[in-house]
Order: sequence, then C-alpha cells, then structure tokens
Amino acid sequence: MKRPVRVGAGEKLVLTANRLLDGRIVWRDHDGHWAARVGAAEKLDADAVSDVLEEAQARAQQDGVVGVYEVAVRDVDPPEPVTVRERIRAHGPTVHPEFSVEAGQ
Amino acid sequence: MNAPVGHYQYDQSDREFLAARIDEFSGQVTRRIDGSLSEDEFKPLRLMNGLYLQLHAYMLRVAIPYGTIDSQQMRMFAHIARRYDRDYGHFTTRQNIQFNWIKLEETPDILRDLAKVDMHAIQTSGNCIRNVTSDEFAGAAADEVVDPRVHAEILRQWSTLHPEFTFLPRKFKIAISGSPNDRVAARFHDIGILARSGADGRPVFRIFVGGGLGRTPIIGQEIFDAVPEERLLATLEAIVRVYNAHGRRDNIYKARIKILVQALGIDAYREAVEAELQQMDLEHYRLTPEMVDAIRARFAVPELSAPDNASQELSARRETNPEFDLWVRSNTHPHRDAGHIIAVVSLKPAGGIPGDATSAQMDRLADLADEYSFGELRITHLQNIVLGHVRQDRLYDLWQALKEVDLASANIGLIGDIVACPGLDYCALANARSIPIAQKLGARFGDATLQAEIGALRINISGCINACGHHHAGHIGLLGVDKRGEEFFQITLGGRAENGASIGTILGPALPEDDTVDAIARLVDCYLGIRQRGETFLDTLDRLGDVPFKEAAYETV
Ligand code: SF4
Repeated sequence: MKRPVRVGAGEKLVLTANRLLDGRIVWRDHDGHWAARVGAAEKLDADAVSDVLEEAQARAQQDGVVGVYEVAVRDVDPPEPVTVRERIRAHGPTVHPEFSVEAGQ
Repeated sequence: MNAPVGHYQYDQSDREFLAARIDEFSGQVTRRIDGSLSEDEFKPLRLMNGLYLQLHAYMLRVAIPYGTIDSQQMRMFAHIARRYDRDYGHFTTRQNIQFNWIKLEETPDILRDLAKVDMHAIQTSGNCIRNVTSDEFAGAAADEVVDPRVHAEILRQWSTLHPEFTFLPRKFKIAISGSPNDRVAARFHDIGILARSGADGRPVFRIFVGGGLGRTPIIGQEIFDAVPEERLLATLEAIVRVYNAHGRRDNIYKARIKILVQALGIDAYREAVEAELQQMDLEHYRLTPEMVDAIRARFAVPELSAPDNASQELSARRETNPEFDLWVRSNTHPHRDAGHIIAVVSLKPAGGIPGDATSAQMDRLADLADEYSFGELRITHLQNIVLGHVRQDRLYDLWQALKEVDLASANIGLIGDIVACPGLDYCALANARSIPIAQKLGARFGDATLQAEIGALRINISGCINACGHHHAGHIGLLGVDKRGEEFFQITLGGRAENGASIGTILGPALPEDDTVDAIARLVDCYLGIRQRGETFLDTLDRLGDVPFKEAAYETV
C-alpha cells in the first residue's frame, strides 16, 4: 500500500495499518504498539520515518497487523490526517456516525 | 425434489464441493493467522473467496447467481448481518451482497453458514469469470422471449473453477437477458448475451463482446448474431480462450477484453474465435437439449393462478388511493400472466444509503416473498429488490406491508432511484465518497410527486474511475475525483445502458460536493423549463444537446 506521501508545512507523518484478525484500522504509538485511535499515534519527521516504517513492516506479522504505511497529518493534538481518505480511516465512515471510532465501535 | 422457484436446486455433489472448498479456505485462513502464509501469498486466495481488505475492515462479497435468491437465503443474509456484521448488508450493482465489517477469523464460519443455504462467495473477485448477471424480471416479464436463468445457471457451472479461466488477464463479467428490451446492460459487459427464440423452438443467442465501463468505457460490439443453443458453450469458450491467449497481462489498465477487441477490431476477433472453434472438440462442448432440460428441471416454476377479477381489484385500489397509484406507476412492471404483476421494492428511501438493507428489512422481505411471490426474490443491478410474481389483487396488501418497514419509496426509474457504489466511506480504492452525495440528492428530490413530475431520470455515482456505480451509463453520472486530497465530482450527461447504449459525456469542470448537488438541482430545473410535452430528460438532451444544461449547471460557479 506504499504511496508517495507529501509532507507540507506544519505536517508530520504517522504510521497506520489494518489489524490482521479483524481488519480494523490501527495507528503506531510511541512504544511501537498499535492503537485504535489516531490520537495515540506517534508523530514522526519525514526524515525519521523510513527507519521506523521498515521496522514496523518487518514486525507486522508478529504484531498482528497488515499493510503498514505512512500518512501525513497536521501537527496538532490529536493529529489530524491531511486527506479525506485518511480522515475517514481515522474516524470511521461518515454515513454511519454510530460506527465512528469515537463512538467506541 | 422440492426445487426453489427461480433458481437452481443444489444436489449432494454441489454441497460436497462447497464443503471441501470451505475446508480448504479455512486452512488458508489458519495459515495466514499463524504466519505460514504472508499477506502477498494469501491475498489472491482470499480474493478468490470474495474476501477483500477494505478501509475499515474485511469485506465479504457473496455471489447471488443471476440475482435470484429464495426467502431462506435472504434470512441467512439477515443472520450474517446480525451475527457477524453491523446489522446490515449492501446490495451491489452486480446483483451481489457485500458485508462491510467482517473479521478474518470468522470468515470460515460465515461461509459455513452460507453453505447451509447453498450459497458461497467463490469467484466474486479475482481475474476469473465473475458471477453471471441476468434480467431482474426473468421468467416473469410480459416482454420476455426466453427465461435466461437456466442458461445463466449453465454458464455458472461452466465458469466456476474452469481450469483454464482461473487466471485470466483481468476480471471477466457476463450478463444474459431473454428480453428484446435490454435490462442487463449487455453492451457494457465483457460478454453480453441476448436470447431469443429460434426457428426450431430452441433459443438462439446474440452475443456482444468487449463492452465495459471503468477507466476506458466502451460499448460492446456484436460478434455473433444467432448462436444456436448447442453451440453456446463452445462459442463462449472460444471467445474467452482468445482473450486468455492474447489479452494483455503487462498493464492492468489495458488488460480487459475490451482493449483487445479494440486493438484487433471486431472482425479480426471474430475470425480468431472462428479459428479457435475449428480446432476445438465441439462435441465436448455441445449443449444438448437434454442437458438444458436437466438443468431446467432443477428450477421450480411458479403455479400462477389468480381470481378473474384480480386486475379490477387492483384498479379499484389505485383509483381510491393516489399514493398507492403513484407507487404502482413507478414500481411495477407488466407480468406475462394477466392476473399477476412484478413489484420492485426500492432500496432507495429519500436520504438513505442506496442498496443498503438492515437485517430486519431482509427478514421482512423474506417473509413477504413467502407470502406474495413464491418465496423468490431478485436483486437488481440497480440495487433494488424484485418480487416477481405478485397477484394483482394482493398488491395493495404488499404495498402496505412494505410501508411498515420503510421500503415503499415510489421512485423506481426516477431521480430518487440513485445507483451509488460504496465510495470512500468503505472502499480502499476510492477518490471520493459516493453515499453522502447520493443521500443529499435523494433527500433533495425525495418527494414522490416531484419525482413523478420529473419522470425517467437516472443518476449513477461512482467513487472512482473503476465505475462500480456505472456513472458512464447514468442519464446523469457523477464521478468522484481527488483534487489534492479533497473530493470533487465530475458530471456526465446522456449515458444509458438500455437498448441504444451510450456513454455519458463530461459536462464541465468537477465541482465540490455541495456545489454538485446545487448544479444538478439547477440542471433538473432547466430540463423542467425547456422540455416539450411528453419528453423525458434524455429526449430533451438528445434534442437540444448539453449546452442549456451546461449553462444552468455552471451558472453561479
Ligand atoms: S467505483 Fe471505485 S470507489 Fe466505487 S466501489 Fe468501485 S472501486 Fe470503490
């Protein structure tokens, strides 16, 4: 799922994946764990991302995740993905508010 | 044998095959979870079993052969929605159903549950021959010449696990209709087949190849005008062999048969097929009347009987209830039997999600199918549900029952009957969300009287160029495009999938979502202002071209 990610001013990168068992979206936190909320994601500088990405990809099976890749976020707290696609991944389908990540689903 | 009405009855060998296939996939899932299979190794295996990894979860696509199911199968969908998903399913433009919140580890259990009602998810993805689609009014329509479902079933059996066609250059879609009025978009399929009666009473088949939507929309061309029934399988085998041998595998965007047909030209393609036929063992592929009849015997035929005054009763109800009358006008189709009628249940409530049904609605639809239509349901390629054989004197009761579960929208073929793919809310390939704009348009034009006033006008929405929402074939088509990470929509006008198929042309620059909704509202107003008496939207567009619509749509932009 590698795609070129442009990092603009005021933006950082976070790592994301799907959980192997149920496909749910997860974000890599500071300790290398995979969390369900984008708010827990570790924000990385563009020049630091490739090492962390490589390590996370190498550990994907062990960590029970699949399709690890990086996503540009606005450098705010909690980080907010730059593209609509990644915002929908982070928060859930917009057409079912009851299934949003924030609703705990 | 207690065969179901409208679809093929499995026998022991069909069931043993399914059980073995599920065991095989279950083993693959176990090996994926324990790491003996990598994702790259597992992906083609799960896809051949209908399992995708989408934006938020796994998605399972279940095959509905020629769009027909029985009430038991519909109840199983409801069960799967409740037990393994989030209480709903999504009916697709290929007459299948998708469940959006599936867990990998539960997939073998789901497939076992499906197998209990003779259903599966095989070949709903991958570069193989996909589920064969058919006319949603098959076996019921007054204008039908041949019931195409028996031949659709034969094609299903021929194409399932076909050893040569499991790794085609790209996916392959076949549609078959038995009516002179093309309700299957035959010219927009890799192979489109129109059946008609031959001189000897057996059907003959007109075959189109190389149609399709997607990145390169192309209208299929006639390759053969009258293939006799006994040559049907041989001919299809030869067409797919030529594609398998010469279709491009180096470029995914040029791999469909339509590109090959364009490259060779239809005459050269036909010659290649004829040459292939020359060296084939035709006897091996001969479809004898006995074989066809053996398959036909596995379909139950509805015993149609209605009181003599059934039509009068329906007319009387229509006269006294204008709301019902409006629904009958848009949501029914003439049946071949005078006392019966075909009812189309809209899955497009105003402001709702096109094609979605809750488990409660699915259960209720199953009950209504049992009560009113011999337990048979059809899924349409326009994402609605058909009850094919309703007695005319009972239609009013059916309508009232549908109203209770919010399934009585009077909008079939009208502007509220919007076709939309899942788009960016679910689909990993999408550029833009299809559903919210469909909901906004559906709500804007929700009023049944307004829709009737606007008349035949179909909106199709795709979230990306893959065109699962068939936007090129929409009278108004919307294509989601990505502009620097934000959603825009390109409007096309004048597409149509029926007889005289054509591809919509782009009206102007893409607009953001809300501007698109406003532009369509102005465009529709413009049509209402300039149409002549009796003209549909397409008639007016054909008469005047798109200039007035373009001016209206982009007026304030
Ligand atoms: S058209 Fe694109 S966005 Fe819509 S379902 Fe198909 S692939 Fe996904």
